Amino acid sequence: MERTNEMKFVLIALFGSTGRFSILFTVLFIIGLWPLLKKSGVPGWWALIPCAREYMFARCAGREPEGRVTSVTSFVLCLLAFVMQFVSVRPAWIENVSGAVLSLLILELALQIILFIYRIRVYSGLIEVYGTRRRWIWPWILCHWFPALIWGFSKKYQPTWKVEDMHRELAAIASGSSVEVLRDGLTVNLRVRAVREFFQKKILLRDVHLSIPLGHMVLLLGGSGAGKTVFLNAVSGYEKADASVMLGGEDLYRHYKKLQYQVGYAPQHDTMRGKDTVYGTLLDAAKLRLPKDTYAADRKARVDKVMDIFGLTPSRTHMVEKLSGGQRKRVSIAMEFVSNPSLFFLDEPDSGLDGIMARELMGQLRHIADQGKIVLVITHTPDRVIDLFDDVIVLAKDGNRVGRLAYYGSVDGARSFFGRESMEEIVECVNPVEVGGKGLAEEFIAKYAEVRHD
Amino acid sequence: MTETTMNGAGRKQRHFRHHSRGSQVSIFLGKFFRMFLYQNEWKVLPMAAVIAGLVAMVVQPMLFQSMEGTLMGTLALVCVGIWNGCFNSIQAICRERDVVKREHRSGMHISSYVMAHLIYQAILCLLQTVLTMYICRLVGVEFPKQGLFTPWMIMDIGITMFLVSFASDILALWVSSLAHSTTAAMTVMPFLLIFQLVFSGGMLTLPEWSEPLSSLTVSRYGIMALSAQADYNNQPLVSVWNAVVGMRDRKVSGTFTIGQAVDLLQNKDNPTIRELRKLEIVKGLTANDLAELAESEGVQGAGPLLAPIGEQELTVSVSLGEAADYLASNPDSQELCEEPIPYSTTVGQIIDLVGWEKTRAVLQDTMGENSFVQEYVQSRTNIASCWVTLLFYTLIYAALTTITLEFIDKDKR
Repeated sequence: MERTNEMKFVLIALFGSTGRFSILFTVLFIIGLWPLLKKSGVPGWWALIPCAREYMFARCAGREPEGRVTSVTSFVLCLLAFVMQFVSVRPAWIENVSGAVLSLLILELALQIILFIYRIRVYSGLIEVYGTRRRWIWPWILCHWFPALIWGFSKKYQPTWKVEDMHRELAAIASGSSVEVLRDGLTVNLRVRAVREFFQKKILLRDVHLSIPLGHMVLLLGGSGAGKTVFLNAVSGYEKADASVMLGGEDLYRHYKKLQYQVGYAPQHDTMRGKDTVYGTLLDAAKLRLPKDTYAADRKARVDKVMDIFGLTPSRTHMVEKLSGGQRKRVSIAMEFVSNPSLFFLDEPDSGLDGIMARELMGQLRHIADQGKIVLVITHTPDRVIDLFDDVIVLAKDGNRVGRLAYYGSVDGARSFFGRESMEEIVECVNPVEVGGKGLAEEFIAKYAEVRHD
Repeated sequence: MTETTMNGAGRKQRHFRHHSRGSQVSIFLGKFFRMFLYQNEWKVLPMAAVIAGLVAMVVQPMLFQSMEGTLMGTLALVCVGIWNGCFNSIQAICRERDVVKREHRSGMHISSYVMAHLIYQAILCLLQTVLTMYICRLVGVEFPKQGLFTPWMIMDIGITMFLVSFASDILALWVSSLAHSTTAAMTVMPFLLIFQLVFSGGMLTLPEWSEPLSSLTVSRYGIMALSAQADYNNQPLVSVWNAVVGMRDRKVSGTFTIGQAVDLLQNKDNPTIRELRKLEIVKGLTANDLAELAESEGVQGAGPLLAPIGEQELTVSVSLGEAADYLASNPDSQELCEEPIPYSTTVGQIIDLVGWEKTRAVLQDTMGENSFVQEYVQSRTNIASCWVTLLFYTLIYAALTTITLEFIDKDKR
């Protein structure tokens, strides 16, 4: 049967090809994929959607990053097939092909190789998820429709792990309603912080409502992936969330350009140019962060003062890369402190430091907070410096793996709320069981919501 | 930008401005020059000198002396420029990607950062170009004298080299802004160089379909500008002549017709043929010659008989030229002219017949006409269009770098 051009375009869109066998194999694969996706907790109709089915298939195999590549590659291959069809040249004789088409063919070949390699990774992941023998890789590589049909319809093959239902959400436990805006401090009313990744929306953090008065030094606690850095980024206005962040009565999101210099953020890693002097680094930071009308002499005086505060004066002319870990941390923090921010966020400032150096550094941060600033610190070794903090924020992952507020209040209050003596024990009790925790996050999220409600 | 600071009581205190884009450029320029000193970026200068020296020593005998030498020489010079430019900046952004992200978060304008890079890289490229030109002179490259835009052609060529180097530099800067690590950037780098080399049109004859790709390369416009400045079309094409000279002792054999020989002998301007024409092919006979001939054939008494008219000429001698002229003018000789004559000679002897100087002139003229390239015509328009194109590409790459870096926050998770 002679196919019309329109029909060929439709076939390419649906099956990526116009060849009879290719279409037949794709149809068989889709038939097998439908129940296969369902077994893994993904709606079977995804099998019908070209390109997206590649991604969903990879998700079932626990190979999401590979799924992105296979999906995008399939899409580009489909576009190439369209172009080839449009110019009506799928040449039998390579000598007769024009250069442009030859380039497309080379590109197609390169993409096919990429697709082939990434599909092998996906098949390999699927074999692990289904706990079958490794030799299944060959049928998957040679004729993927065949194992798809068998694994899809046979009850013998069941996945040991299922994809989370992306549309399912546990009944949201309200972590408390919005808090009133604090005139002299930071007020955070974060409803949701979500990112859209490929074919799904991923909620990272929700329902965090709190207000921090000026002069407070706050510890941000939480297990890995609980959303601590997400929270800092959202509150600093760097990654905007569905939230209202008020700093001294002004909306940080709305006036971000105005207020961004009020916020200092010292990242976890010492991101500085190693081949620059300490003084040069701080002076440049001052030039960038201080107002334009600051006199050069004032700017230098400010740099000198900050160097003095952080004990960097003896290392003034040293190269940053030659400094010790503790000194580098201090330079990194001083870079942010040079603009005298009202709100100071520090992501693990004591990582890699011994107890004495860590305490000394935290002491300096306490001193900064005492000057009427808000200092918010993430640290994984809180107990050695806990006496320096006023408040604790505890974030934990709920059943949907979404970061939630499990506690905000004084340090002593945290001890009695969780019934634990140390901060590390608190983290342990809210951490999921699979990472060695007690898995009590949901319980404390609900408890905190209740306390706030009362 | 106006800003409100907050004091301890949370009251609005005063309004002030932070550094504008322009003043941020000077901050980053200062930073880059410190990096130049401390991060050993100064090493690109001696490296450029060494590369220029090596290339100049190789191309010096032929550059600006012949078509082939000029084409290969300009390709080599352009490669030096591209190499210098790419290596100046291929790691410039990717190695400090996290620092850029942090500074962007602290209020850095991406456009200021890119502009500072543009100025810094331009100064680096300028220094490298000056070094390259100086070393070429030092090695003994004979540059054409009269410039088209400046009083000296070496300065015109220097401008081209700078633009090639700068455009490549900013192209590599863009790649650096795309790459997330130095490893990724250095992996892309060879592809970039090969693409520039292959599609420049200076090394290989490109098929028609590759024209759009070729027009995207910096190397193409570099070669075009340098070849035009070197007056490529008026240079001699020496390779064919050199090949012919190399074959001068090669034996050739075959047949030619008497007619062809007659035609060849009509070329009276050629001194070799003039000599050939004088060759006596029928000797003039006297009475004594005839008597000797008769006696040698056994006829007795012919000597005394012809003695009285002994020295009298009985027949007239005929030269090769006269015979050729006769055959050329006599229509009855047509049949004879088609008679084949076998020959065996050397290429050198054949050229002797035509004349070496004339052969050389004909070969070079004919082949030179065939190798004429409109884009390489020495004109201000041609060169200016190449310069403008290179500048245009530089600006495009700079804009792409800025756009790419504006999205730098997107790779934060």
